[in-house]
Amino acid sequence: MKDKTLSRRDFMGAAAAIGAFTVVPRHVLGGAGHTPPSEKINIAGVGIGGQGGSDLRQLESQNIVALCDVDWRHAARCFDRYPNAKKYKDFREMLDKEDKNIDGVVVATPDHLHAIISMAAIKRGKHVYCEKPLTHTVREAKLLAEAAREAGVATQMGNQGQASEQTRLLCETIWDGAIGQVREVHIWTDRPLNGINKWYWPQGVDRPQGQDPIPDTLDWDLWIGPAPMRPYVGKRTYNPFVWRGWWDFGTGALGDIGCHSMDAVFRALKLGYPTSVEACCTLVNDETYPVASRVTYEFPARGDLAPVTLHWYDGGMKPPRPAELEDGRMWDTNGKLYIGDKGKIIDYRLIPEPRQREYGKPPQKVERSPGHYNEWVIAFKGGKPAGSNFPDHAGLLAQVVLMGNIALRPALKNKMLSTKLYFDAEQFKFTNLPEANQYLTKEYREGWTL
Amino acid sequence: MMRETDTMTDSKNTLTRRAFVRGAAGAMAGLTFVPGRAFGANERLNIAAIGVGGMGAANLNACTAENIVALCDVDSEYGGKTFKKFPQAKTYLDYRDMLDKEGKNIDAVIIATPDHTHATIGMECIRRGKHVYLQKPLAHSIFEVRMLTEAARKHKVQSQMGNQGHSSDAIRMLYEWIQDGAIGPVREVYAWSDRPVGGDPWSDFPIMARPKETPAVPQSLDWDRWLGPAAYRPYHPIYHPMSWRGFWDFGTGALGDMGCHILDPAFWVLNLGHPERVEAVTTHYIPEVAAETYPRASVVRYEFPARGDMPPVKLTWFDGRLLPPRPKALEPGRKLPGNGALLVGDKGTIMHGSHGAGGVRIIPETQMKAYNRPAQSLPRVKDGSGGHERDWIRACKDGKPASSSFEYGGPLTEMVLLGVLAMRLKDTMLEWDPVNMKVTNCDEADKYIRPVFREGWTL
Repeated sequence: MKDKTLSRRDFMGAAAAIGAFTVVPRHVLGGAGHTPPSEKINIAGVGIGGQGGSDLRQLESQNIVALCDVDWRHAARCFDRYPNAKKYKDFREMLDKEDKNIDGVVVATPDHLHAIISMAAIKRGKHVYCEKPLTHTVREAKLLAEAAREAGVATQMGNQGQASEQTRLLCETIWDGAIGQVREVHIWTDRPLNGINKWYWPQGVDRPQGQDPIPDTLDWDLWIGPAPMRPYVGKRTYNPFVWRGWWDFGTGALGDIGCHSMDAVFRALKLGYPTSVEACCTLVNDETYPVASRVTYEFPARGDLAPVTLHWYDGGMKPPRPAELEDGRMWDTNGKLYIGDKGKIIDYRLIPEPRQREYGKPPQKVERSPGHYNEWVIAFKGGKPAGSNFPDHAGLLAQVVLMGNIALRPALKNKMLSTKLYFDAEQFKFTNLPEANQYLTKEYREGWTL
Repeated sequence: MMRETDTMTDSKNTLTRRAFVRGAAGAMAGLTFVPGRAFGANERLNIAAIGVGGMGAANLNACTAENIVALCDVDSEYGGKTFKKFPQAKTYLDYRDMLDKEGKNIDAVIIATPDHTHATIGMECIRRGKHVYLQKPLAHSIFEVRMLTEAARKHKVQSQMGNQGHSSDAIRMLYEWIQDGAIGPVREVYAWSDRPVGGDPWSDFPIMARPKETPAVPQSLDWDRWLGPAAYRPYHPIYHPMSWRGFWDFGTGALGDMGCHILDPAFWVLNLGHPERVEAVTTHYIPEVAAETYPRASVVRYEFPARGDMPPVKLTWFDGRLLPPRPKALEPGRKLPGNGALLVGDKGTIMHGSHGAGGVRIIPETQMKAYNRPAQSLPRVKDGSGGHERDWIRACKDGKPASSSFEYGGPLTEMVLLGVLAMRLKDTMLEWDPVNMKVTNCDEADKYIRPVFREGWTL
C-alpha cells in the first residue's frame, strides 16, 4: 500500500506540477519565499470563510487551485482573493472533478465535518491539513490517524503553537529537570464566554424554536452534513463560527482550545492515553456544551516519568493562583501551569521570574520549526513529517481532548457523581460505564459515511 | 422543611407573665428593657416574628410551646397562611410599627426576611433589648454583620443565627474527631453546593439582567417596605417571594445561602477565624447580567493563616454544580452529595453533607470502620438540628448563649460574605484586614463591605 501510494505520489506530483503551471496566474505567486511553479503543490480548501481563509493565506507560496464552501456569501472574500481557483459547494464533487489537479486539501469546516472530508481526501491519496480539533468524535480521530498512516500522506493539524519556539523551550526546560518531575498540570481558558465579543459563542443554551428562510447562498443540507437534520435558524445561531457550542456540530471550549493548549503538555510530558477522565460542569443539556467546566485526566507513569494529573478549566474557571507568582503579576484568564517537584512553570517560564532569569535557557534539544504551515509543505515534498501529523501526534492528542467532552455528557452527569470514567486504550473503551462508550463515536445521517 | 406544630399557646400563662414583666424592668420603657431576667421553669417566652411566609413559618412551628404574640410581614398574602395559623397573634405590615405598639409584650423576635433587611430589622430589635433569632446569613454585608454582632454583645440579648446544623450531633462528633486527630492536621477544605441550580424552587436562582417590565404591585404587598434599605427599583414578581437570593441587591447567592450551613463545620472545628486573602472566579461574562445577579457558577478560594498549632488552611468553595476533583480516597461508585464538604488532613479525609456535617464519615469506609472513636466530650443540643430554635429559647430563659449565637454566627457570616465580595470583584486576590474591615489592595471593595442605604434607612 505504502509503495503504491508513494509511486502514485510521484506521478501526482508530476501531474500537479503541470496543472499548476497552466492554471495558476503569476500574480497570486511571488513574495520572498517564491519558488518555481514546478515545485509548487496544488491545494484545495474546504470551509474557507473563517480560519480556512487564514490557513490558505499561509500557504500562498503554493498554488490554491480549488475552493469549496457551503456558504458562498461567507466564502466570498476568499473566492475574491483567488479568482482563478475553481469554486465548489460540495467537497465530494470537488474531489471528483479536481482529483487530478489537487495534491493537498485544507479542511477548516465546522468540527462535525472534519473527519468525513479529511478521510475522503486521504482515501484519494491527498495530503491533508485539518483544523483543530482533528475530528468531532474520539473514534474519528483514531481512524483518521490510522488511515493517514496507511496512506502515507502528509498531514498536519491546525494547532500552530506546536511549531513555536515557546513549545520547544517548555519541552527542553522540563526535560532538563528544571522543575523536577511534573505530577500536576492545569490548563484554563476563558472561552466560550457566551458571545461577549464576536470570537466567542453561546453554550448552556437551548435549541431555538422555529426556523428562518435559508439564504440562497447557503446549502444547509451540506452544512448539516452527517449531523441529524434540523431547521435552519439565522441570527448567527449556528453559522458562522458559533456552531462550536452545539453538541451536534462543535466540540465546545475544550475542543476549540484543548488541541492548542494541551499540545505542549503532551510533548513535554510524553503523554499517551489517560487511565481516567472525570468532569464537573454547570447545567448542561443535550443541545449545547456547558458554560463552564472542569475536566480532570489521570495519566499513568511513562518510563521514568511520574503519573500526571491534568486539570482543564473553561468558562472563566481557573486553578488557584500559585504562591510563587509575584504580587501584582497578572494571573491571566488563559494559561498553563506545570507543577513539578522542584518548581513551577506558567506557560513556558519558571515562576517567580527571578528563577527563570537565574535558570536562563535550557540546552537546545528540539529542532526548530521552519513554520507550522511550511512543515506540512516540506512533508508534502517527501521531507520530515510535520510536527502535528495525524498518525504520530494529532490523532492521539485530539482523542484525549475529545474524551473530556464525553465526561460532560448530560446523560452521564448523574453517574459521574459516583465515579470517574476509566479508559482502556487496548480495548478502546471505558471499562466501568458502558453507556459512555456510545459517545466515543456517533451515528451519521443517511447518505454519509466515514 | 416545615415542622409539626406543637400545642397552641396558652393565653393564661402569657397574661400572668406579662403582668410580671410590666411590673419589673419592662416598665422602665421599651428601649431600656433589660434582658437576661430569670424565667420560671414553666414560663413562656413571648415571641414575635418578622418575615413569616417562608423559613419564618418553619421557625415558628418549632416555637409553638411559647406564646406567639405578634407577626409581621410586608406581604399579607404570603404571610397570610402563618397569620391564620396563629390567630391570637397581632399582625403587622411594618416591623417598626409592631415593635412600637407591641414592644412591651415581646421578649424575643424571629427574623426571616430577605437578606437585605436582616440588619436593619435585627438591629432595631436588639436595641430594644429583644432576643433575636435571625436567619442565616446573618446580614447582607460584612459591616452589617459586624454591627449586629457587637450590638448583641452590648445589649446582652440572646441571639441565634438560623444555621440549624450547628445544633446537630454530627457537627459535635466531627469536632471530637478532629480534636482526636482522626485525620491529622487539616490543610485543605473543599465545599460545594448545587445552588443556584439545585433543581427545585428553593435552590434555583435566576441569572439575568434586570427585568425591564414594571407590572403592578400586588395589593397584598408593600413594595417599599419590602425594599427596605435597598436602592429603589420597580416591583417585579421575580424578586418576591422566591428569587431574591439570586440578586446582588437582596440576597447573597448560593454561597450566602448555603455557605453558612456547609462551611459551618470546617469554620468551627478548625477554628478558622478570619481569612488572610480570598479570590474568586465566576462564569459572569455579560456586564448587565453580572451587575444584577449572582453568577451561574463560581469558585471561591480562601486562605486562612495558622491558628495555634493548627496549620494554614486553603478552603475552596464551588457552586453551580462545580465540584472539587473526585478525592482519591472516595470509593468508585460512592456518590458525592449535592451539597457537602471535604476536610483533607495529613492522615485522612472526612466527607460530610450540608446542615452541620450531616452524614459525616472518614473516607474510605474501611478507614472509618477502623477508626476508634473518642468518647463524647461535647454536650449535645437537645433534639439536635431540630432543636435549634428551642436552644435559643432555652438561652433566652437561662441566659447561657445559644449554640450559634452571633458571637459565632457573626464571624462565620463575615467569612462567607468575604467570599461573596470576592465573587463580586472576581479575578482579584483580595487581601483582608479584618480589624478595619478593609480589603487593603482594593478600594472598590468598600462600597460592598458597607453599602449605602436608601434614604430614610439607617443601621
